Amino acid sequence: MLPTPYIKCDYNKVYEPSEDSFLVLDSLEKDLVYLREKFKNRVTFVCELGPGSGIITTFMIQNEIPNRSNSLYFSVDINPWALDTTLTTAKLNGCSETNCYLECIQSDLTTSIRKRQVDILVFNPPYVPAVNVPEIPSSKENLDQWLDLALLGGKDGMVITQRVIDQLDDILSPTGVAYILFCARNKPEQIVSNIIETCDLWNIDLVKHRKAGWEVLSVYRFSRK
Amino acid sequence: MKFLTTNFLKCSVKACDISNLNFPLEYDGSKCKLVQNEDIEFQPEFLLNILDRIDWPAILQVAADLGNTSLPSQKPELHTNMDELNEEELVILRDLHTLLLQTSITEGEMRCRNCGHVYYIKNSIPNLLLPPHLA
Ligand SMILES: C[S@@+](CC[C@H](N)C(=O)[O-])C[C@H]1O[C@@H](n2cnc3c(N)ncnc32)[C@H](O)[C@@H]1O
Ligand SMILES: [Zn+2]
Repeated sequence: MLPTPYIKCDYNKVYEPSEDSFLVLDSLEKDLVYLREKFKNRVTFVCELGPGSGIITTFMIQNEIPNRSNSLYFSVDINPWALDTTLTTAKLNGCSETNCYLECIQSDLTTSIRKRQVDILVFNPPYVPAVNVPEIPSSKENLDQWLDLALLGGKDGMVITQRVIDQLDDILSPTGVAYILFCARNKPEQIVSNIIETCDLWNIDLVKHRKAGWEVLSVYRFSRK
Repeated sequence: MKFLTTNFLKCSVKACDISNLNFPLEYDGSKCKLVQNEDIEFQPEFLLNILDRIDWPAILQVAADLGNTSLPSQKPELHTNMDELNEEELVILRDLHTLLLQTSITEGEMRCRNCGHVYYIKNSIPNLLLPPHLA
């Protein structure tokens, strides 16, 4: 088993790593050889959406997924606290400016990232079904509201994830892959078969799934055909 | 944020996506604070790979915004095999290392050349989030 980052942060400000976070780590670990092989001898643009505490990005840097000295890690969160925290978590685990390329960006998903650049996209989204996706808080100090954004995914919990899936062709580089987490209430099987029927761009594979309390979580890999 | 990151950031406004002015953003040289970190080690192979995938005109443009007009107007064409790199090529890579990886913008602002929206960098973190009425 690969080492997991040490995390010490304020969970009033960012999402506390949970079963979903760990399932993503396990999925990346499972695909380690595949990713190293696919991206060897080139610069890899890694983009995590919604890093929260920074656990996933730090795990990737720490374990050289897909490689450390040849990767650019971009962590993009809407919550300003998540960016400070991600930098702190990375440092706490020995990832510093002098030994890795980590950039933390405050942004709404990939709207600010140049098209077709991302080689590896990782997203543990806000997936809990809710009436609406919460509005963006007007102040950095509205902590509870920022935390709501980490959880609530609107109808079927899919509003934010669906935006990413709809844009995936514009987000990923010609050799890009995406790892996206779903819960059962997102109806991932239905979503996957829908995509396969309506567009011929993707190979979609279930990498890992797990029962976590009353949730069933799964991580799917999207890669270009 | 590191200078190289400017090569990946565009305006977040959706309507600007159809314009080719939304990338690179225009950095305000008088407001950007640049910091140099000499402790970041030179890895020629990494630089070679970076050179391979960057948009050179955008690098030139942002460098000029920030007062550096000494870059060659064409992307340097170097040997792709590390072992074949000569002295001169290593100097080029080293210069790029200094600019792209060792230089950070810690405070500053940049605007979209299409819609004029201004974004800020604070504490080295760029904020590309739009106010609700533009999102
Ligand atoms: C379920 S948490 C995952 C946190 C962390 N990656 C983990 O696995 O523990 C979802 C994250 O997505 C972020 N987020 C929600 N909506 C977003 C958006 N539109 N753009 C960028 N990030 C967003 C939240 O702030 C939160 O950090
Ligand atoms: Zn614009």
